[in-house]
Amino acid sequence: MRAVDNIITTQDLRKSFAARGGRVEAVRGVSIDVARGEIFGFLGPNGAGKTTTLRMLTTLLPIDSGTATVAGFDVARQPARVRTRIGYVSQLGGADELATGRENLILQGRLYGASRARVAPRAAALVELLDLAEFADRRVATYSGGQRRRLDIALGVVHEPPVLFLDEPTTGLDPQSRANLWDHIRALRDRGTTVFLTTHYLEEADVLCDRLMIMDHGQVVAEGTPRALKRQVAGDAIVISLRADDHGADNHGADNHGADNHGAGNHGAERAAPLLRTEPYVRELTTDDGQVRLYVDDGGTALPQLIRLLDSRGIGVRSISMSEPTLDDVFLRQTGRSLRDEGASDQKQEEVAA
Amino acid sequence: MKPVRDIGLLFQRYAVQLLRNPVWLIVGFSTPILYLVLFMPLLKHAVGSVGLSSGQVVDLFLPGILSLLAFASGIGLGFSTIFELKAGVIERFRVTPASRLAILTGPILATMMMMFVFDAVVVAVGFGVGFTVHWAGLAVLAVLLALLMTTVAAFSVATALVTKDISGFAAIVNGLNLPVLLLAGVLLPISLGPAWMRVIAHFNPLYYLVEASRVLAGGTLAAAAVWQAFAVLVPLCALVLAWATGVFRRAVA
Repeated sequence: MRAVDNIITTQDLRKSFAARGGRVEAVRGVSIDVARGEIFGFLGPNGAGKTTTLRMLTTLLPIDSGTATVAGFDVARQPARVRTRIGYVSQLGGADELATGRENLILQGRLYGASRARVAPRAAALVELLDLAEFADRRVATYSGGQRRRLDIALGVVHEPPVLFLDEPTTGLDPQSRANLWDHIRALRDRGTTVFLTTHYLEEADVLCDRLMIMDHGQVVAEGTPRALKRQVAGDAIVISLRADDHGADNHGADNHGADNHGAGNHGAERAAPLLRTEPYVRELTTDDGQVRLYVDDGGTALPQLIRLLDSRGIGVRSISMSEPTLDDVFLRQTGRSLRDEGASDQKQEEVAA
Repeated sequence: MKPVRDIGLLFQRYAVQLLRNPVWLIVGFSTPILYLVLFMPLLKHAVGSVGLSSGQVVDLFLPGILSLLAFASGIGLGFSTIFELKAGVIERFRVTPASRLAILTGPILATMMMMFVFDAVVVAVGFGVGFTVHWAGLAVLAVLLALLMTTVAAFSVATALVTKDISGFAAIVNGLNLPVLLLAGVLLPISLGPAWMRVIAHFNPLYYLVEASRVLAGGTLAAAAVWQAFAVLVPLCALVLAWATGVFRRAVA
């Protein structure tokens, strides 16, 4: 499992905090392997322990037990060496509002030990790369949310770290700015930076991350590529709505509703169900209300076969739809809860815990 | 020396932030002037019956203002620490290899520079109303002012990092302000108080500064009050700085 080129490796990472009524175990045995050059995501509801884990990996929080190696150095024993090799953008950002974007970039670069002469061209390159040119010489206080996040990210990579940590990078952004930021994060990855991010947005984890880990209550509940994770649930879901056969249609008026229609549709469904169930690529099948709902490994290849089969037996298909399972289905299966239900209400809790 | 370079960078950053904040500049400059303008007439009236001239009153009173300014400059730094904590600025610095001592002392030194600018304004205005300037005494006093300001500032920053929110921090600072100021004899000499007050005052670092400031402003260098102030403030400053750096090193932000 452990490849040679893992840039982040942790073993059984743990962290607990003193809280009212005893200790709270925020992170309970997290083991991670992140390969060089990938966008790795931590998906989970607020309070799952994502930020706490990130803060341990970035030397901001002492590790209770377990080990963590980032960019070749032990986080607990060589924090100074780790710091020079990572970039970290917190949820808060933390750029100086009374300074311009460029001034912020230059100071940040100099704090990493570079001379002003060396930082200036780097800052200029980042201004180009992250589309900051228009406002780089204005004070940060005047920036929009999206502009600010791009500056925050530029601050995180000013010293060209091999690893960039992003904590909830798009929280609070409008959809357009979010998609724009994703493009910039991908561009960094394409230039060789390993990106480790946390998010509680399903779509972000799905679209942006090469590989991800789903976390809940301080533990990893699932891990893999977004595609593999979703496939692990049950493949693609296909819903086939069947036409009532000629008999049924004769007995009942076309504009009849309710129980009568059921009988008609069910007839088709009853004929189709046993036929489809024996197909090797069908994993699960249920019939409901004149519809056949089935799960297949790969909907793209199964769909034409299904249609051909039903057609050959003279079973009329009224409509057919295919939906891919979402990461929420994965989370639902692992935890029994939906991520969509988890509002921003726990936001405070995580901040306090962190 | 890397820590020195880091201190320089963070000093510069904080100084620029201060100078770009117009509200802070206006309040910062007007407060010491207000002390002089509002307190002087009152004090003059109170001690006038004893037969002191205006120059003698300002000689007595001005060192106290300088001490007060040192305390106020230092204690206020924690408020900006809370703001920077909430804005993620401190976390941004903590994740860089910048020296932890520099993250703490950069802002303290910038605040100190501004304090000396205000001190110069106070002395200049005081000179206009009859303050007798003893340069050697003022130079030694400057060192003591810097020591006290650094001590109070480090205490304030560390307290801010521990409390982490503005209401808790403000409660502590306000709770400390009154007893510390009254028991230092900044405005009224502590010798006017009963014996128990004079005893308690000896546990107040600001008391030693105020006592020494009066002697030094009067031009006397070799006095018990002066070496006592150094004996108290040097180790205290080192102690508080060490504690504050420790707080910074530990996970707090």
